[in-house]
Amino acid sequence: MKRTMVFAKRNLIEVFRDPLSWIFCIAFPIVMLIIMSVVNSAIPQEAGMTLFRIDNLAGGIAIFGQMFVMLFTAIAVAKDRSGAFLTRLYSSPMKSSNFVWGYILPMLLTAVIQVVISLIAAVVISVISEYTLNIAGLLMTVVAVIPSALMFSAIGFIFGAVFNEKAAPGICSIIISLGAIVGGIWFDVEGVGGFMYKLGKCLPFLYATKLARAAISMDFGVKEFFIPLGVVALTATVLSVIAGILFNGKMRADQG
Amino acid sequence: MGYAIKTKNLVKRYKDKTAVDGLTLTVEEGELIALLGVNGAGKTTTVKMLTCLTKPTEGKSSIMGRDVVEFPEDVKRLVGVSPQDTSVAENLTVKENLEFMAGLYLPKDKAEAAVVRTIKAFGLDEFQNKKAKLLSGGYKRKLSIAMALIGEPKVLFLDEPTLGLDVLARRQLWREIEALKKNMTIVLTTHYMEEAQELADRIVIMTEGKVKAIGTLEELESQTGKKGLEDVFVSIVENVE
Repeated sequence: MKRTMVFAKRNLIEVFRDPLSWIFCIAFPIVMLIIMSVVNSAIPQEAGMTLFRIDNLAGGIAIFGQMFVMLFTAIAVAKDRSGAFLTRLYSSPMKSSNFVWGYILPMLLTAVIQVVISLIAAVVISVISEYTLNIAGLLMTVVAVIPSALMFSAIGFIFGAVFNEKAAPGICSIIISLGAIVGGIWFDVEGVGGFMYKLGKCLPFLYATKLARAAISMDFGVKEFFIPLGVVALTATVLSVIAGILFNGKMRADQG
Repeated sequence: MGYAIKTKNLVKRYKDKTAVDGLTLTVEEGELIALLGVNGAGKTTTVKMLTCLTKPTEGKSSIMGRDVVEFPEDVKRLVGVSPQDTSVAENLTVKENLEFMAGLYLPKDKAEAAVVRTIKAFGLDEFQNKKAKLLSGGYKRKLSIAMALIGEPKVLFLDEPTLGLDVLARRQLWREIEALKKNMTIVLTTHYMEEAQELADRIVIMTEGKVKAIGTLEELESQTGKKGLEDVFVSIVENVE
């Protein structure tokens, strides 16, 4: 545990000192929140489109931001693998679980901080747009999106362990695009239906978005909250285990 | 004094290539040996096998009496490694890098004292709050060695520690290594003859994964009839080829 925390501290410092983390993990989601709120204000009420209303948008943006945490996890792992720094650590008393949680824990914390900041921005926007957000729902969201934060960190970890420093960000970008589309962040996937919805149901992103939105509106229905929570938590657990197994294998392969 | 390192018929094969071929070696506690050889001689692979970074295909090896394959956790606590490439956390300061490594090996109270001591011993006071990526090549190497030492290893492996450094930085690092000699066993891999000549108690000359000669400079000179390590080395390597 001690070694995990020591390694996690190092990774947290690395993330916080990288200006790109601030741009992509904090600034970009807030900018998207503002832009989409402006778009929402331009949509006539008669259209009946509520996707970009601040309560729906905030949940979507929380998940969208976590996708960038996945990107940064992948970059951190792949970058360390490409240099001799991990070689040094492989010869230290660190175990593979120290490595896995040492990478994932700071990313979880980053994701939580990011969600809190996004939700604070959402509150400001809700005040400006005269829409009342449920503060208890916002607090609930911070807790409810922890499983998806773990899931995205684990996905990033897997990509960082499998791909090199150049390939990992590219693969993550594809996942971010795919996740944003089929995750129902920018449009109503259920409404579109067809292949898009079927694909969305097969992947965990749509459930993550649904869960965040249900938490904001304090809707604890089985279909709205508990099934998405179960899917996301299970996916996060399975992916974390895969990440551990994969890193163990890569550790041996990297060492020759 | 006992043996710090013992290997017997150590072999490492990668598919169709044999990187190390039947290495048998003993190193006494407190000794500094230099592994000398051209590229691909098997120096780095030998270090990797002895530091649990790769498993040998055949043979036995032990560090301070602990078998490297059977007790890797014990061995990892006994060794310190400064890899060939710069291996520091670039965005961390000098002090944070040392605190990080100390945290992996030592309890908290000992770790803090070790950081202060190491910063002083390596003359890093002035740079302790500077990010590692902003250090010169020489200071990065210094930091890398300091990081290998902070866990208080019994055996220190320095894989080409002065590679790419200018002459002044190299000389300065030699002085640091010289000062460490009395306290621990050191295995140094290098391409530089003068480095081995200056620092090593014994020199191991490797070619194509095999030990071709081993001894003090004087012993090697008398074996080959040549004067100076460079001529000794060329004579041994060319005789093999």
